[in-house]
Amino acid sequence: MTTSPRRAAARVSVTLAAALLSASALSGCGVFGSPDLVIYNAQHEQLLDELVPLFEEESGLEVELRSGKDLEMANQIVEEGQDSPADVFLTENSPAMSIVDNAGLFAELPETATATIPEQYVPSDRSWTGFLARSTVAMYNTDSMTEADMPASILDFADPEWKGRVSFSPTGADFQAIVSAVLALEGEDATLAWLEGLKDNGVIVQNNLVVMQSVNSGEVDAGIAYSYYWYRDRAENGNDSDSSDLYFFGNQDPGAFLSVSGAGILASSEHAAAAEEFITWLTGTEAQQAMAESYALEYPLNPDANLNPEVKPFDELEPPQVDVASLNGPQVTDLMTAAGLL
Amino acid sequence: MATTTTGRRTPLPLLAAGALVALLALVPLGYVASYVVAIGPVDLWHLLARPRIAELLRNTVSLAAACMSATAVLGVALAVLVERTDLPGRRLWHGLMVAPLAVPAFVNGYAWVSLDRSVHGFAGAFGVVTLSYYPLVYLPVVAMLRRLDPALEESAWSLGHSRARTFRTVVLPQLRPAVLGGALLVGLHLLAEFGALSLLRFPTFTTAIYDQYGSTFNGAAATAMAGVLVLLCLVLLLAELRLRGDRRYARLGRGAARGAVPLPLGTWRWPLLGVAGAVVALAVGVPAFSLGRWLVVGTSTEFPLDELGAALAATVVLALAGAVVTTLAAVPVVWLAVRHRGLASTVIERSTYVANALPGIVVGLALVVASLRLVPLVYQTAGLLVAAYAILFLPRAVVTVRAGLEQAPVVLDDVAQSLGLGPLATARRVTLPLIAPSLGAGAALVFLAISTELTATLMLSPIGTRTLATEFWSASSELRYGAAAPYALLLVLVSIPATVLLMRMDTPSTERLPA
Amino acid sequence: MSSLNLTGVTKSFPATTSGQAITRAVDDVTLHVPHGSFTTVLGPSGCGKTTLLRLIAGFLVPESGTIAFGDEVVCGDGVRPVAPQTRRVGYVPQEGALFPHLDVAANISFGLSRDARTHDRAGDRVAEMLDLVELPAEFRNRRPDELSGGQQQRVALARSLAPQPAVVLLDEPFSSLDAGLRGSTARAVRRALEATNTTAVLVTHDQNEALSLADQVAVMRGGRLVQSAPPSEVYLSPTDPQVAEFVGRAVVLPGVATGAHATCALGEVVLTESAAGPVSLMIRPEQVYVDLAHAEGVRGTVEEVSYYGHDCAVQVRLDDDTAVLSRMSGVLHPAPGDTVHLRVTGLVRAYRPTDAP
Repeated sequence: MTTSPRRAAARVSVTLAAALLSASALSGCGVFGSPDLVIYNAQHEQLLDELVPLFEEESGLEVELRSGKDLEMANQIVEEGQDSPADVFLTENSPAMSIVDNAGLFAELPETATATIPEQYVPSDRSWTGFLARSTVAMYNTDSMTEADMPASILDFADPEWKGRVSFSPTGADFQAIVSAVLALEGEDATLAWLEGLKDNGVIVQNNLVVMQSVNSGEVDAGIAYSYYWYRDRAENGNDSDSSDLYFFGNQDPGAFLSVSGAGILASSEHAAAAEEFITWLTGTEAQQAMAESYALEYPLNPDANLNPEVKPFDELEPPQVDVASLNGPQVTDLMTAAGLL
Repeated sequence: MATTTTGRRTPLPLLAAGALVALLALVPLGYVASYVVAIGPVDLWHLLARPRIAELLRNTVSLAAACMSATAVLGVALAVLVERTDLPGRRLWHGLMVAPLAVPAFVNGYAWVSLDRSVHGFAGAFGVVTLSYYPLVYLPVVAMLRRLDPALEESAWSLGHSRARTFRTVVLPQLRPAVLGGALLVGLHLLAEFGALSLLRFPTFTTAIYDQYGSTFNGAAATAMAGVLVLLCLVLLLAELRLRGDRRYARLGRGAARGAVPLPLGTWRWPLLGVAGAVVALAVGVPAFSLGRWLVVGTSTEFPLDELGAALAATVVLALAGAVVTTLAAVPVVWLAVRHRGLASTVIERSTYVANALPGIVVGLALVVASLRLVPLVYQTAGLLVAAYAILFLPRAVVTVRAGLEQAPVVLDDVAQSLGLGPLATARRVTLPLIAPSLGAGAALVFLAISTELTATLMLSPIGTRTLATEFWSASSELRYGAAAPYALLLVLVSIPATVLLMRMDTPSTERLPA
Repeated sequence: MSSLNLTGVTKSFPATTSGQAITRAVDDVTLHVPHGSFTTVLGPSGCGKTTLLRLIAGFLVPESGTIAFGDEVVCGDGVRPVAPQTRRVGYVPQEGALFPHLDVAANISFGLSRDARTHDRAGDRVAEMLDLVELPAEFRNRRPDELSGGQQQRVALARSLAPQPAVVLLDEPFSSLDAGLRGSTARAVRRALEATNTTAVLVTHDQNEALSLADQVAVMRGGRLVQSAPPSEVYLSPTDPQVAEFVGRAVVLPGVATGAHATCALGEVVLTESAAGPVSLMIRPEQVYVDLAHAEGVRGTVEEVSYYGHDCAVQVRLDDDTAVLSRMSGVLHPAPGDTVHLRVTGLVRAYRPTDAP
């Protein structure tokens, strides 16, 4: 292998920096003990902080939770490759699972681990499984709008009549999951046209909470987000949801897309048994019911778990049929870059 | 004449250490350059010749131009008002005018946004950034006004010019380098600003790079944008460098022993007092009020002492490690620059200076990619983050340590040697004791700067490591304003000592300020 | 203590970045400084005198030539150059260069061994040294920035003398002091060096300083040593007219020599050495006697009088239009426009015209 001098020089400098700083590395990232299970968690940290102690108590295993964001953690697992300390990877949305899956880093799940999950939320090769779902919705301001004013399809937000009236957060993994569904359902050209229309019309904000806030405050008439943000705010105090309501597109519209939070076991895991135990527990009725009763208000995928009745029932969502394993992250970001959203 | 360095040979280990530091400092620039080359002209054209880039360029340049002009006008006006008029309570006003520096711009952005959601976009960003950064012009202008020899003005005065005309024809031209230097500094800070502009929803290259990073990790689009951003920064840096050269000639004499006669304001006193009060109210009062309000809200609901303590501890550990490493890295650079002038020393020192043009976002991105490609082991370690801090804040340490070493003239080494001391004993008994205070000051400045660094920390902090800045960021971007308040308060508290230090420093420079 | 002997010492510096050719800063210098004596090296700035000092100290190594302290060769002659820290030279740079982080006592005892520094006797040595340089004992606890420039120089000398060096080297040690302090500090330094019988070399561009302090004055020009002799000889019998003009004011007149005498615009003068034919005559202004009372000598008209109090300088235009400078007592002096008569007293140095500038 030939190495250019510049590259070699860079290698030397970075290595040196690394050697120089290894002492501080120890103190900086904390010295970990030797846990029985390491979870890279990109789902909401608060949710796993509630769940993990339940599992630890039941299994007697010691779990280490490292929390981050979907794409960051997925890419890190890919970079770490066979050396990854991660045993289990949990995401908010499935495109991040695809990144790790495409790198061939997941081990096949045992059938018991996915037995309770409807098959459309598990890739056919069982490289990972869905464990929670979140429904795409539009929120609308109830002072300026009625449900009747809302469009039939999420694709209509690209129409000129919505100019300056709709907010969304293109940089989040949530929106990008929605785009991946549009892409899977409508094809590349239609998706690009839709994104370009949204870019012209939309008020771009940094995350879904701000989407909800901008709708509720009347800054915009409508916004694209997931339903649970609104339900959580209502459950908490309604400060950012009292002047707004949810609009479910239903009807197999891309706007009714159900995004799946995934769980998978790394092939490189040294704690495979513990990891399988955890995933089986996570999809089992007890954990699913615990999630259903938590603050999260996302949809548990185990049909035996019962969600808060305030939340629109899972079987009324009429989501489009999308192969969860096929959602393509890189192509989405390429399209969004082409549309000028990134 | 007696202290020429001619004839002294540069020790190889020193040269090697300096070269290594320079190499580290050049990693980000090298990464951007080599990646851009690797992308190739065709793809690069596709990545750059698109409406989004035009939009970002428009946003970035227009905001920079507007803020640089506004801070220049505001900075000069306030400096003249405080320094050269009989405004009541001038000493107090001086402190208040500098106070905004103690509030990192992203904390200021949070304070405004959380108070009034209509503060956003160009107008919001312009207002908040101007209020955050005008002291960067104000401080050097005040310093220059204090140095100007009043005899010049008195001569013009005695030659029949009115005070207004004297100010215009004699004082203003002399302030020019200070004003331009300060405004360029504002520009450099603005190009690097991520937190405030993200909260205020005004996309610039820096925020767009972060978005790309969040979505595509290390995609070509992010690097192409980083290339444009670095070019913009280099333009400002070169302008600053040139100005610095000019400034040396512009400074005459050792300054005035006596101050200028203050301009009596007469009936203008009250309206102008109102103006000064309004600036302080907007720049200090609003953030203080907002922060106070959210502190009350936040502490009434929950006060997570554990998490606060953990974030504080992580911040202190990282900042300590960063301060030590950065200051140590500055030593060979400074030693070469001061004691062994020559081509190699100049190249090494300039290499570290370039970091002034590198926003945290670029350093962060560069180190993510460089580490993954070259030494994956260090990715996601605190060591990598510390290396980023070292690159970012090396210029600051170099300037401080250099000032110290210049106080330890080489003739003292000669004397020590003639009194029987070898080189090591000389370093131990003479040079080190002499530069110790500046090493300490350099480390302190770097420590404070790291404590409030947001962008590179967000990108490089190992999973699970939370600092004051990242905890603040996650709370405020999730609109948990109350929860963000204690972190914001701590960030302000650690910024205060740095602000006081800056107030005491006379000359402006490109060193980074808090945030 | 020992004598200092330089033989054929040469040092060049490489071309600088500005593209200058290699310069010989010190060119074939041979100098003998007897044990316990005081030599001043006099020359304009850039003449190489500081380089010479740094060569002796060991901060620089010559290309050729030998430097010996007494019989001990410290460099040259195939001897590996002795490091500065083992040469036992005392070095007093410009502006003293006291260690700013140490007090006076610590500065003075800096060069003593660790034992001596920690031991009680170190205190005695400091007191002894302070006494030697005529500073009060209570100065021992002062910081350098609490001392005047002259006091700093005295402490610097004490510091260099404390370890009993073979040679003390002083690099323009009084140049940054103001005029009043310069003389008294210089005399104190001289007394201290004499009292310790120290061999000393002092570099200066100030001819008064050079002449008044030293046993021997070595004049340097363009890297070369052009004359080394006792002060009066350098002053009254300089090697060439340039040295003459460098060490003091000089009236240089063309003349014709006939053996022990020569004739010039100021009449007949007596020469230091016999000569014949056309010569340049170097006359010091104080040798030109202005006779106000008698009409004896060469007549001229006073053009300008610069009055200094203790003496005055009188510019006279001779009838043949030659301009001549005289230095005379300030008690009684002419006014511009007066007619005066001039004559030369003492011996006059004659140079062959080719030596003239």
